[in-house]
Amino acid sequence: MTTTQTVTAPTEKTPRRVPGESGMWFFVLFESLVFTSYFGVYLYYRAQHEAAFLRAQSHLDLWLGVLGTIALLTSSWSVARCVQTARVGRYRLALRDAALTAGFGAVFLTLKSIEWARQIHMGNTFTSGDFFQYYFFFTAIHCVHLLIGFVALGVLAYQLASPRRRSQEIVETCATYWHTVDFLWVLIFALLYVAR
Amino acid sequence: MGTTFNKRLLAVWLVLSAITVIYLWIDRSADDRGAPTASTVVTVSAITLALVKVRIIMREFMEVRHAPPLLCRLTDLWVVLMAAALLGMYFVGKAAA
Repeated sequence: MTTTQTVTAPTEKTPRRVPGESGMWFFVLFESLVFTSYFGVYLYYRAQHEAAFLRAQSHLDLWLGVLGTIALLTSSWSVARCVQTARVGRYRLALRDAALTAGFGAVFLTLKSIEWARQIHMGNTFTSGDFFQYYFFFTAIHCVHLLIGFVALGVLAYQLASPRRRSQEIVETCATYWHTVDFLWVLIFALLYVAR
Repeated sequence: MGTTFNKRLLAVWLVLSAITVIYLWIDRSADDRGAPTASTVVTVSAITLALVKVRIIMREFMEVRHAPPLLCRLTDLWVVLMAAALLGMYFVGKAAA
Protein backbone atom coordinates (compact mmCIF):
# COMPACT_ATOMS: atom_id res chain seq x y z
CA MET A 1 0.00 0.00 0.00
CA THR A 2 1.25 3.52 -0.82
CA THR A 3 2.60 5.05 2.33
CA THR A 4 1.05 8.52 1.95
CA GLN A 5 -2.31 7.36 0.63
CA THR A 6 -5.36 8.44 2.61
CA VAL A 7 -7.71 5.51 2.92
CA THR A 8 -11.32 5.45 3.98
CA ALA A 9 -12.89 3.42 6.76
CA PRO A 10 -14.37 0.14 5.48
CA THR A 11 -18.10 0.08 4.83
CA GLU A 12 -20.43 -2.56 3.44
CA LYS A 13 -19.60 -1.21 -0.05
CA THR A 14 -15.78 -1.24 0.16
CA PRO A 15 -14.15 -4.45 -1.11
CA ARG A 16 -13.48 -6.99 1.61
CA ARG A 17 -9.81 -7.46 2.49
CA VAL A 18 -7.72 -8.97 5.25
CA PRO A 19 -6.87 -6.34 7.92
CA GLY A 20 -3.07 -6.01 8.07
CA GLU A 21 -0.62 -8.60 6.80
CA SER A 22 -1.89 -12.17 6.27
CA GLY A 23 1.16 -13.49 8.15
CA MET A 24 -0.06 -11.84 11.35
CA TRP A 25 -3.35 -13.74 11.04
CA PHE A 26 -1.45 -17.05 10.79
CA PHE A 27 0.32 -16.00 14.00
CA VAL A 28 -3.00 -15.08 15.68
CA LEU A 29 -4.56 -18.47 14.82
CA PHE A 30 -1.39 -20.35 15.81
CA GLU A 31 -1.05 -18.54 19.16
CA SER A 32 -4.73 -19.13 19.89
CA LEU A 33 -4.21 -22.86 19.41
CA VAL A 34 -1.06 -22.91 21.57
CA PHE A 35 -2.82 -21.05 24.41
CA THR A 36 -5.94 -23.23 24.01
CA SER A 37 -3.81 -26.32 24.58
CA TYR A 38 -2.34 -24.76 27.78
CA PHE A 39 -5.85 -23.83 28.95
CA GLY A 40 -7.14 -27.31 28.15
CA VAL A 41 -4.47 -28.93 30.33
CA TYR A 42 -5.24 -26.44 33.13
CA LEU A 43 -9.00 -27.18 33.00
CA TYR A 44 -8.36 -30.94 32.96
CA TYR A 45 -6.25 -30.78 36.15
CA ARG A 46 -8.51 -28.20 37.75
CA ALA A 47 -11.55 -30.45 37.28
CA GLN A 48 -9.65 -33.29 38.97
CA HIS A 49 -8.46 -31.24 41.97
CA GLU A 50 -11.29 -28.75 42.43
CA ALA A 51 -10.93 -28.28 46.17
CA ALA A 52 -7.19 -27.50 46.06
CA PHE A 53 -7.62 -25.13 43.09
CA LEU A 54 -10.53 -23.31 44.80
CA ARG A 55 -8.52 -22.84 48.01
CA ALA A 56 -5.58 -21.34 46.11
CA GLN A 57 -7.82 -19.30 43.78
CA SER A 58 -9.51 -17.61 46.77
CA HIS A 59 -6.24 -15.66 47.31
CA LEU A 60 -6.81 -13.77 44.04
CA ASP A 61 -8.65 -10.45 44.09
CA LEU A 62 -11.40 -10.63 41.44
CA TRP A 63 -11.79 -6.84 41.45
CA LEU A 64 -8.13 -6.41 40.51
CA GLY A 65 -8.67 -8.89 37.66
CA VAL A 66 -11.80 -7.05 36.48
CA LEU A 67 -10.00 -3.68 36.55
CA GLY A 68 -7.05 -5.12 34.60
CA THR A 69 -9.39 -6.66 32.03
CA ILE A 70 -11.26 -3.38 31.54
CA ALA A 71 -7.92 -1.52 31.20
CA LEU A 72 -6.83 -3.94 28.47
CA LEU A 73 -10.26 -3.80 26.72
CA THR A 74 -9.97 0.00 26.77
CA SER A 75 -6.50 -0.22 25.21
CA SER A 76 -7.97 -2.44 22.48
CA TRP A 77 -10.72 0.12 21.87
CA SER A 78 -8.05 2.85 21.59
CA VAL A 79 -5.98 0.94 19.04
CA ALA A 80 -9.14 0.12 17.03
CA ARG A 81 -9.85 3.88 16.92
CA CYS A 82 -6.22 4.48 15.96
CA VAL A 83 -6.60 2.20 12.90
CA GLN A 84 -9.76 4.00 11.81
CA THR A 85 -8.42 7.53 12.32
CA ALA A 86 -5.20 6.63 10.45
CA ARG A 87 -7.33 5.22 7.63
CA VAL A 88 -9.09 8.56 7.13
CA GLY A 89 -5.76 10.41 7.28
CA ARG A 90 -6.15 11.98 10.76
CA TYR A 91 -2.65 11.02 11.84
CA ARG A 92 -2.30 13.31 14.87
CA LEU A 93 -5.47 11.79 16.31
CA ALA A 94 -4.20 8.32 15.45
CA LEU A 95 -0.94 9.04 17.31
CA ARG A 96 -2.95 10.20 20.34
CA ASP A 97 -4.96 6.94 20.23
CA ALA A 98 -1.71 4.93 20.00
CA ALA A 99 -0.41 6.78 23.10
CA LEU A 100 -3.70 6.03 24.93
CA THR A 101 -3.34 2.36 23.97
CA ALA A 102 0.14 2.25 25.49
CA GLY A 103 -1.14 4.12 28.57
CA PHE A 104 -3.92 1.61 29.25
CA GLY A 105 -1.48 -1.22 28.56
CA ALA A 106 0.80 0.30 31.22
CA VAL A 107 -2.17 0.48 33.66
CA PHE A 108 -2.74 -3.26 33.09
CA LEU A 109 0.96 -3.98 33.65
CA THR A 110 0.95 -1.94 36.88
CA LEU A 111 -2.12 -3.79 38.22
CA LYS A 112 -0.50 -7.10 37.32
CA SER A 113 2.74 -6.11 39.10
CA ILE A 114 0.74 -5.11 42.21
CA GLU A 115 -1.03 -8.49 42.16
CA TRP A 116 2.23 -10.43 41.71
CA ALA A 117 3.82 -8.49 44.60
CA ARG A 118 0.79 -9.18 46.85
CA GLN A 119 0.76 -12.89 46.02
CA ILE A 120 4.50 -13.29 46.59
CA HIS A 121 4.15 -11.34 49.86
CA MET A 122 1.41 -13.81 50.94
CA GLY A 123 3.80 -16.67 50.16
CA ASN A 124 2.10 -17.74 46.92
CA THR A 125 4.87 -18.40 44.41
CA PHE A 126 5.47 -20.61 41.35
CA THR A 127 6.19 -23.56 43.65
CA SER A 128 3.16 -23.05 45.96
CA GLY A 129 1.00 -25.67 44.26
CA ASP A 130 -0.64 -26.45 40.95
CA PHE A 131 -2.94 -23.43 40.80
CA PHE A 132 -0.20 -20.88 41.37
CA GLN A 133 2.10 -22.69 38.96
CA TYR A 134 -0.55 -22.17 36.25
CA TYR A 135 -1.29 -18.65 37.50
CA PHE A 136 2.33 -17.48 37.24
CA PHE A 137 2.91 -19.35 33.97
CA PHE A 138 -0.18 -17.90 32.22
CA THR A 139 0.24 -14.36 33.54
CA ALA A 140 4.00 -14.30 32.85
CA ILE A 141 3.73 -15.62 29.30
CA HIS A 142 0.91 -13.15 28.68
CA CYS A 143 3.10 -10.33 30.02
CA VAL A 144 5.86 -11.30 27.58
CA HIS A 145 3.28 -10.96 24.78
CA LEU A 146 2.20 -7.60 26.23
CA LEU A 147 5.80 -6.32 26.26
CA ILE A 148 6.15 -7.35 22.59
CA GLY A 149 2.86 -5.46 22.09
CA PHE A 150 4.55 -2.28 23.36
CA VAL A 151 7.25 -2.80 20.69
CA ALA A 152 4.46 -3.21 18.09
CA LEU A 153 2.90 0.05 19.32
CA GLY A 154 6.31 1.72 18.95
CA VAL A 155 6.49 0.51 15.34
CA LEU A 156 2.94 1.79 14.80
CA ALA A 157 3.76 5.23 16.24
CA TYR A 158 6.99 5.38 14.20
CA GLN A 159 4.94 4.68 11.05
CA LEU A 160 2.39 7.38 11.88
CA ALA A 161 4.94 10.02 12.88
CA SER A 162 6.26 10.80 9.40
CA PRO A 163 4.37 11.22 6.09
CA ARG A 164 7.21 9.33 4.36
CA ARG A 165 6.55 6.14 6.30
CA ARG A 166 2.78 5.90 6.78
CA SER A 167 1.62 2.41 5.89
CA GLN A 168 -1.94 1.53 6.82
CA GLU A 169 -1.11 -2.16 6.45
CA ILE A 170 1.60 -1.99 9.14
CA VAL A 171 -0.71 0.01 11.43
CA GLU A 172 -3.39 -2.69 11.05
CA THR A 173 -0.85 -5.48 11.58
CA CYS A 174 0.40 -3.96 14.85
CA ALA A 175 -3.20 -3.37 16.01
CA THR A 176 -4.11 -7.00 15.20
CA TYR A 177 -1.25 -8.15 17.43
CA TRP A 178 -2.40 -5.89 20.27
CA HIS A 179 -5.99 -7.20 20.04
CA THR A 180 -4.62 -10.76 20.22
CA VAL A 181 -2.87 -9.91 23.51
CA ASP A 182 -6.23 -8.54 24.69
CA PHE A 183 -8.38 -11.56 23.80
CA LEU A 184 -5.82 -14.00 25.23
CA TRP A 185 -6.11 -12.14 28.53
CA VAL A 186 -9.95 -12.30 28.34
CA LEU A 187 -9.60 -16.11 28.33
CA ILE A 188 -6.90 -16.20 31.04
CA PHE A 189 -9.02 -13.96 33.28
CA ALA A 190 -12.11 -16.19 32.94
CA LEU A 191 -10.13 -19.35 33.64
CA LEU A 192 -7.98 -18.13 36.56
CA TYR A 193 -10.35 -15.76 38.35
CA VAL A 194 -13.90 -16.92 37.62
CA ALA A 195 -13.91 -20.64 36.74
CA ARG A 196 -15.00 -22.78 39.71
CA MET B 1 -18.40 8.27 8.58
CA GLY B 2 -15.64 8.29 11.18
CA THR B 3 -18.06 9.44 13.88
CA THR B 4 -20.47 6.59 13.10
CA PHE B 5 -17.62 4.12 13.37
CA ASN B 6 -16.40 5.51 16.67
CA LYS B 7 -19.92 5.24 18.12
CA ARG B 8 -19.98 1.59 17.12
CA LEU B 9 -16.58 1.02 18.74
CA LEU B 10 -17.82 2.72 21.91
CA ALA B 11 -20.87 0.41 21.95
CA VAL B 12 -18.59 -2.61 21.48
CA TRP B 13 -16.35 -1.49 24.37
CA LEU B 14 -19.41 -0.98 26.61
CA VAL B 15 -20.72 -4.48 25.81
CA LEU B 16 -17.29 -6.06 26.47
CA SER B 17 -16.90 -4.15 29.76
CA ALA B 18 -20.46 -5.05 30.83
CA ILE B 19 -19.77 -8.76 30.24
CA THR B 20 -16.60 -8.38 32.35
CA VAL B 21 -18.61 -6.84 35.21
CA ILE B 22 -21.17 -9.70 34.96
CA TYR B 23 -18.33 -11.97 36.15
CA LEU B 24 -18.49 -10.24 39.56
CA TRP B 25 -22.15 -11.23 39.90
CA ILE B 26 -21.49 -14.78 38.67
CA ASP B 27 -18.64 -15.12 41.16
CA ARG B 28 -20.74 -13.89 44.10
CA SER B 29 -23.67 -16.14 43.17
CA ALA B 30 -21.38 -19.18 43.38
CA ASP B 31 -20.25 -18.49 46.96
CA ASP B 32 -21.71 -20.49 49.82
CA ARG B 33 -21.87 -17.88 52.63
CA GLY B 34 -18.59 -16.37 51.46
CA ALA B 35 -16.84 -19.70 50.94
CA PRO B 36 -16.03 -20.49 47.28
CA THR B 37 -17.61 -23.68 46.01
CA ALA B 38 -16.99 -25.68 42.84
CA SER B 39 -19.62 -25.07 40.17
CA THR B 40 -19.90 -26.52 36.68
CA VAL B 41 -22.48 -23.85 35.75
CA VAL B 42 -20.08 -21.05 36.74
CA THR B 43 -17.13 -22.64 34.91
CA VAL B 44 -19.12 -23.26 31.72
CA SER B 45 -20.62 -19.74 31.89
CA ALA B 46 -17.17 -18.18 32.42
CA ILE B 47 -15.73 -20.01 29.40
CA THR B 48 -18.76 -19.27 27.20
CA LEU B 49 -18.80 -15.56 28.08
CA ALA B 50 -15.04 -15.31 27.46
CA LEU B 51 -15.44 -16.89 24.03
CA VAL B 52 -18.34 -14.53 23.21
CA LYS B 53 -15.98 -11.66 24.09
CA VAL B 54 -13.21 -13.14 21.93
CA ARG B 55 -15.58 -13.33 18.96
CA ILE B 56 -16.76 -9.74 19.50
CA ILE B 57 -13.11 -8.54 19.68
CA MET B 58 -12.30 -10.40 16.46
CA ARG B 59 -15.40 -9.26 14.56
CA GLU B 60 -15.44 -5.62 15.68
CA PHE B 61 -12.04 -4.47 16.97
CA MET B 62 -10.01 -6.64 14.59
CA GLU B 63 -12.38 -5.73 11.70
CA VAL B 64 -12.99 -9.35 10.69
CA ARG B 65 -16.56 -8.42 9.74
CA HIS B 66 -15.08 -6.42 6.82
CA ALA B 67 -12.64 -9.21 5.90
CA PRO B 68 -13.08 -11.81 3.15
CA PRO B 69 -15.56 -14.61 4.03
CA LEU B 70 -12.66 -17.08 4.42
CA LEU B 71 -11.21 -15.15 7.39
CA CYS B 72 -14.71 -14.67 8.88
CA ARG B 73 -15.37 -18.41 8.72
CA LEU B 74 -11.87 -19.33 9.87
CA THR B 75 -12.04 -17.12 12.99
CA ASP B 76 -15.55 -18.46 13.79
CA LEU B 77 -14.26 -22.00 13.38
CA TRP B 78 -11.39 -21.16 15.74
CA VAL B 79 -13.80 -19.92 18.42
CA VAL B 80 -15.79 -23.16 18.08
CA LEU B 81 -12.56 -25.20 18.25
CA MET B 82 -11.48 -23.34 21.41
CA ALA B 83 -14.92 -23.92 22.97
CA ALA B 84 -14.81 -27.64 22.15
CA ALA B 85 -11.25 -28.02 23.48
CA LEU B 86 -11.81 -26.06 26.72
CA LEU B 87 -15.22 -27.51 27.62
CA GLY B 88 -14.15 -30.95 26.41
CA MET B 89 -11.01 -31.01 28.59
CA TYR B 90 -12.97 -29.71 31.58
CA PHE B 91 -15.64 -32.41 31.34
CA VAL B 92 -13.09 -35.16 30.61
CA GLY B 93 -11.21 -34.01 33.73
CA LYS B 94 -14.41 -34.13 35.77
CA ALA B 95 -15.26 -37.59 34.47
CA ALA B 96 -11.75 -38.83 35.29
CA ALA B 97 -11.85 -37.35 38.82
